[in-house]
Amino acid sequence: MVRYVLRRLPSAVIVLFLASIAIFLLLRLSSGDPASVLAGPDAGADTVAAIRAGLGLDRPLPVQYLIWLRGILTGDLGDSYILHAPIAQLIGDSLVNTLELATGAILLAIAGGSVLGYLMATVRSRTVQNLLGAVTALGVAVPTYVTGVLLVLVFAVTYRVLPSGGVGPGLSDFQIGVQYLLMPAIALSLPTGATIARFLAASMRQTLDQDFIQAGVAKGLRHRRLMAAHVVPNALPPVTTVLGIQIGQLLGGAIIVETIFAWPGVGQLLLQAVTGRDYLLTQDLLLIAVAVFVVVQIVTDVVDAAIDPRIRLERA
Amino acid sequence: MSHHLRRAVAATGLAAILVTTGCTSAVSRQDDAGGGPSRGGTLHIVQGADVQPATLMSQNNPNFSLDRLVFNFLIQYDHKTLAPQPELATSWQVSPDGKSYTFTLRRGVTFHDGRALTAADVIADLKIIQRPEVASQVKGIAKQIATMTARGDDQVVITFKTALSNVFDLFLMMPIIDPATADQLFTGKKFNGTGPFVVQKYTPGQGFQLARNPKYWQKDRPYLDGVDISVVRDSQSMLSSLKSGQSQLALDLAPLDASTVKNDPAYQLVESDAHDSVSYVGYNVTVPLLSDKKVRQAISYAIDRDRILSQVLGGLGTTTSLPWAPSSPAYDESKRTFYRYDVAKATSMLRQAGATGKSVNVYYDSGFGPNNGLAEIIQFDLAAAGLKPQLQPLQASDFLSRLRSGGFDGMFLTGHGFGQLNPATLLGGAFPFNFAKNASSFDNPQYQTLAQKVWFAGGKPDPAALGEVNDFLLDQQFVSDLVTGSHTFAISSRLKGLSWTMLDYLDLDDAYLSQ
Repeated sequence: MVRYVLRRLPSAVIVLFLASIAIFLLLRLSSGDPASVLAGPDAGADTVAAIRAGLGLDRPLPVQYLIWLRGILTGDLGDSYILHAPIAQLIGDSLVNTLELATGAILLAIAGGSVLGYLMATVRSRTVQNLLGAVTALGVAVPTYVTGVLLVLVFAVTYRVLPSGGVGPGLSDFQIGVQYLLMPAIALSLPTGATIARFLAASMRQTLDQDFIQAGVAKGLRHRRLMAAHVVPNALPPVTTVLGIQIGQLLGGAIIVETIFAWPGVGQLLLQAVTGRDYLLTQDLLLIAVAVFVVVQIVTDVVDAAIDPRIRLERA
Repeated sequence: MSHHLRRAVAATGLAAILVTTGCTSAVSRQDDAGGGPSRGGTLHIVQGADVQPATLMSQNNPNFSLDRLVFNFLIQYDHKTLAPQPELATSWQVSPDGKSYTFTLRRGVTFHDGRALTAADVIADLKIIQRPEVASQVKGIAKQIATMTARGDDQVVITFKTALSNVFDLFLMMPIIDPATADQLFTGKKFNGTGPFVVQKYTPGQGFQLARNPKYWQKDRPYLDGVDISVVRDSQSMLSSLKSGQSQLALDLAPLDASTVKNDPAYQLVESDAHDSVSYVGYNVTVPLLSDKKVRQAISYAIDRDRILSQVLGGLGTTTSLPWAPSSPAYDESKRTFYRYDVAKATSMLRQAGATGKSVNVYYDSGFGPNNGLAEIIQFDLAAAGLKPQLQPLQASDFLSRLRSGGFDGMFLTGHGFGQLNPATLLGGAFPFNFAKNASSFDNPQYQTLAQKVWFAGGKPDPAALGEVNDFLLDQQFVSDLVTGSHTFAISSRLKGLSWTMLDYLDLDDAYLSQ
C-alpha cells in the first residue's frame, strides 16, 4: 500500500506544479491589481507605481512566481497585500469558522433529515405524508439566500430572539456562540436535510417491501426492533452516498450563507481576495483547494484499492 | 406516530426553544451593553467594507468610521461657511502674502501611547503625506510646501512656494498620526492617534474594537465606553443588523435600503450635509465618437436624472449638472439644472453630429449595487436618443485600474466627492477633474489655465473665476454630473449626539446611547 501511495506522489506533485502556474498566470492576466485598490480612488499614477514597487509587483513575472513558490516550499505563505496579515493566520481563522458552520449544518441536516425521512416512511396518514412531502420539496427547492433572509426577518428582526449576523464568541462561550450559529446553520442545512429525508424515506419504503422484513413481521418481531435492527440499517447505504455528495454542495452554498450572516469564513475570504486582487492570498487559497482535492483523490484511490483487491492488482 | 416517536419529536422541539429563547440571549446581551442614558455603553457600527489602513491619509469611504474616532485633525470646517474651526490647532495666522501659515497647537494632547503631541509631529506627518507611495487627494497641496519650521513644541510655521486657495483643505484631511509608527499604521499593525477612542483589537476583514481614550484632550468626552465596527458586506444584512438591535448605526446602506428606514420612528436616516457623493458619467475624449463635445452634451441631455434619483437612489439627493455641493463657493443654483432631460434635443444633436446609430461602451463597477440600476437607465436613455449603448460591468479593482490608466474605450459610470470643499481641491485633487491628468484624458490648455487661476489664488476664490470654470465644465462635458447625494447614517433612535466632519468622518465625541 505504501508503495502504491509513493507511486502516486510524482503525478500529484506535477498536478500541483501545473496548477500553481495556471493560478498564477490567470490572476496576472486579469486586469486590475492590488496596488490600485491600496492607492484608493483618486491616487495618481506615480502613487500607484510606488505602491506596486513596494509590493514587488514591478518585478518580472517569473521572479514573482519563484518568490511565491519558494515561500510555499518553505512553509511561508506570506502576508496579504490588502489585509496586511499573515495569510496562514487568515486562512486558519476563516477555516475554523467555515468548519464550525459546516459541522453545525451537517449535524442539523442529518438529525432533521433522519427524523423527517423516518416519519415519511412510517406514518400512514396521507395528510401527514403530503405535508411532509411538501415540506421536504420546499427544503430542496428554496435557495439558501431566500431561507437565510426569511430566517433573519422572523427571528432577528421581528422577534429578536437570535442575532442577525456575525460569528459571536464561538466555542469560548458555547451558550452565546450557538445562538450565532443557529440561523446560518439552519439555512445551510435545509437543502441537505430535505434531500436526506426524501432519500431515506424512499429507501426505507423499498426496504419495508422486502421479503425478509415481511418474514420478520410474520415471526412477531417488535416494531422498534424491526426498524432499528433491519429496516434502517438496510436503508442507509444509498443515503450515506447522497450525503457525501451533498456535503460538497453544502460547502459551496456556504459562501452565500456567509455573506447573508456576515460569517467570516473561507468563502468570504476568497471573495474578498478575488475582488481586491489580493494576489498572494488568492493564489494560496486556490492552491490549497487544489491540494485538498489531490489528497482526497489519493485517499479515495487508496480506500478503493483497500476494499477491492482487483483494483489493487489492476494498478500494480 | 408511535408514542416514543412523539416523545422524541417533542423533546427536540423543546430543546430548540430552550436554546433559542430560554438561555442567555446573544441579542439581549448586546442590548444590555447599550448602557445608560448619557455615559457608558458600546456603540455597534456596521459598514459594507473593511477599513483600508493604507489610505488613512486620504479620503476613502471605508475609513469614514475610523478616521475621526482614533485620530484628530488640526482643524475642522464649519459646515455652512467652510470657516476653519480649532481642533488640535487652537489658533492660526496667515501671512499677508498668503504663503505662510503659523499654527499653535493645543497643549496637553497626547497620543494613545502617552507621548505628547509636538510641532515636530505635524512636520513629520506632512513629510509622510509627500511620500510617493502615500495616497492623498491633497498631496498636491503638500507638495507646494517650501519650508516647515517648529517653534518650540507648540507652534509650527508652514510656508508654501506660492499662495494657494485651498491650504486649509490639507489640514482638514490630514490626520495627525504618530510618525514613528506610520508604517505600522499603514499596514494595520498599530494605530497610535490622539482621538477619543483607542484601538483594542483589529481583525482584518472583520472589524475593530475600540475603547474610550481615558486621556482624551476634550474633558469628560467621549461618553461611550467603546465602539465596535463590524464589516457586513451585504446592505440587506446591514439593515437587518440595525433592525434587530444588534447594531445602532449602519453606514452608507444601499439607497433603496436606506429609504426603507426613513418612515420608521424607531430609526432615523441622517443624510450628511456635506453632500459629497456625486454620481457621474465620464467620457474618454480620445475616442472618436466622444471627442466631439456636442455628442457629450447630447448624452447629458439624454439622461433622465430625475428617474435615476427616484428609482435608483431612493430620492436621496438632488439632480445636478455641476460637481459642487451647496457649501462650495462654486455652487450656483441657477446652473444646477442646466442639463434637463430632453430626449428630442439629444436626438437632434446626435443626428447633427453624425453619431446616430453609433455604438458606445458604458463601463461601471458592478460590485457597487446602485451602479447596476443606474447603468440600465442610462442604457435605456441613450438608446432612446439614437445611440447603441453596450453595458460593460467590471469588478472594482479592474474598474479602478482602467479608470486610472484612461483604459475605457467609451463612457464610464462612477462617483466622485470633494464638491463640498474649496473648489481648487476638486480641480486639482479629485481624479475625474484633475487639470493635470484626469480620468477622461481631457488635456485642455484652457481648462488648465482656468483651474490654475482658482488653485493659485490666495484667500477666498474669485467668484468670476469660479463662474468661468462652471461655464467651461457645462460646455465641455468631459464629466456629466447626474445626482448629488450624501453619505448616510442609518441610526437607531437610541443613538444621540451623532456628528460628522465635512469629510463625513464620524465624530462620536458627544454621542451616547439612551436607554
